[in-house]
Amino acid sequence: MRVLVTGMGGELGTRVAQLLEARTDVDDVAGCDFVPPRRRLHRAQFTRIDPRDHGRLTQFVVDFAPDAVAHFGVYEPHSRMAPNDAAHATESCTVHALSAAASTGRLERVVVRSGLEVYGRGRGHALVPDERAPLAPTSPYGRSCLDVESVSAALGRRLDIPVAALRYAVVAGSHVPSPLGRLLRLPVVPVPALADPPFVLLDQEDAARSMVEALVRGFDGPLNVVGPGATSPWQAVSLGNRVPMPVAGLGWSLACRTAELAGAPVPPHVLELMRYGSVGDGGRAVDELALGFMVPTQEVLADLYEWATVTPITERARSIA
Amino acid sequence: MNSVQRVAPNYGIDADRVLGSDTPIDALRRRVGGRYAVDEFGGDPHLTDVLALTATPLRVRVEHEENIPRTGPALLVANRGLGVIEPVVLALAVRRAAHRRLRVIGAPELPIIGPALRKIGAIGYRPDDVAALLRAGHLAAAPLSPSWMRGGGGGGWLGRPSSRETPSSVSTRGVGEPPRALLAATLGFPVIPVAVRPGGPVGLPLRPWRVVVGEPMLPPTGTESDDPLAAAEISEAVRNAVHDLLADM
Repeated sequence: MRVLVTGMGGELGTRVAQLLEARTDVDDVAGCDFVPPRRRLHRAQFTRIDPRDHGRLTQFVVDFAPDAVAHFGVYEPHSRMAPNDAAHATESCTVHALSAAASTGRLERVVVRSGLEVYGRGRGHALVPDERAPLAPTSPYGRSCLDVESVSAALGRRLDIPVAALRYAVVAGSHVPSPLGRLLRLPVVPVPALADPPFVLLDQEDAARSMVEALVRGFDGPLNVVGPGATSPWQAVSLGNRVPMPVAGLGWSLACRTAELAGAPVPPHVLELMRYGSVGDGGRAVDELALGFMVPTQEVLADLYEWATVTPITERARSIA
Repeated sequence: MNSVQRVAPNYGIDADRVLGSDTPIDALRRRVGGRYAVDEFGGDPHLTDVLALTATPLRVRVEHEENIPRTGPALLVANRGLGVIEPVVLALAVRRAAHRRLRVIGAPELPIIGPALRKIGAIGYRPDDVAALLRAGHLAAAPLSPSWMRGGGGGGWLGRPSSRETPSSVSTRGVGEPPRALLAATLGFPVIPVAVRPGGPVGLPLRPWRVVVGEPMLPPTGTESDDPLAAAEISEAVRNAVHDLLADM
């Protein structure tokens, strides 16, 4: 199997490439992204391409002629790109990488990254949606994920191949760049004054495993992938030893501006999570992909606050070295 | 049949089973340190444990408690949904008889009240959310008739009740309409009829509250989820079972 990993420069893309390298049924792995991979890769071939560069991206995919695509070219606003750039890069990478892969005539399966944001949040939306719940995103990132799912599903119908959409909970961890992680690590964290909605997190290793399993099994359809259990803004703040700042109504606008000034911009889907929660029923993914043990949400949260202790090197030690 | 997912205890607290409770000082330490469990439905079992202590004086007599499953999901359908005490009584009955937490269906989508009720284990009236709750292996309770704030089969006052759904008295007349939409979404899980009778007139605690638990019911093998005919049949069967339990009390 020849696998193309779009968005290979991210934490998840790199880890998926590593897991694919270790499999004997995967012959070749190639990937592209606008930043280099975050870990050492042995067999995988990486090419640095901006996802908005249509020509280079198409040529690269056509030259590689993949059998399978693991599509991680879905960029979360304020994760590694500004919101407008992220939406543009996601659209460009999805349309051009997938259509180029289809044009080679060798494509057999596709798995795309999506998010629980496709269900939307707030009044009238299911609290714990499963895969059959109506899709009504209420944030730009949710709409972006839904576009990715729509484009890939259309491709699947055209070529009559399985297309899986993995609707991830927020992937968090001490090394994963995410706007939610930055917000929760601020010394003072805005929390809802009149509620404490639950949200789920996903460990990056579980996210990578689920992508590989969906790819290898040729799963067709959407799956929610979430960590077991849940947490809430107030609990997160307590566990991280942060100071809670209760906010309500119009105060959120001011809180978001202040957080942005403090280095943690809050995109609409993260604000939605803090105000209304973000949960999904992940039981089907566990069964279909045989995921077994998954890291509980509260352990993922604890990992978010784990930082290696930095010990400054003294002048004496430096001279000895 | 729906598959059931189970979650391991978090910080020693299980979202379904009552494993034990902290001393007040330990409980306070837990809250401050954030070392408590939160479940996907917004429930805070640690807070429920703390609040359960305040309901200790409430006297409840449970009959046929062996019909409450010790593990796994089930939907309890009770005859009353009149007020605040009845769900507390039912939750206490389940807690004392089966050492499990009961999730009461019908938390309103209102600011402050809704989140507060969900925090102590209630859940909103959305059939797909209730189905998710049962798939997660919980015990849920739905009223046959709606209350003034908790939506029943067709919604409470906050959800446009019909004249037939007006809260009934404790007599066997007007037991209420079974929550058919809920039963359709949760087909495949056991449904347990329950009759609740207060200890005195207008809920006064003159005698212990009586909770009689009926035998679990299941639709015929091979019934598809969302089958409206099967939902109507089981709905009728539950209504009759609750009626019979009340008549025998």
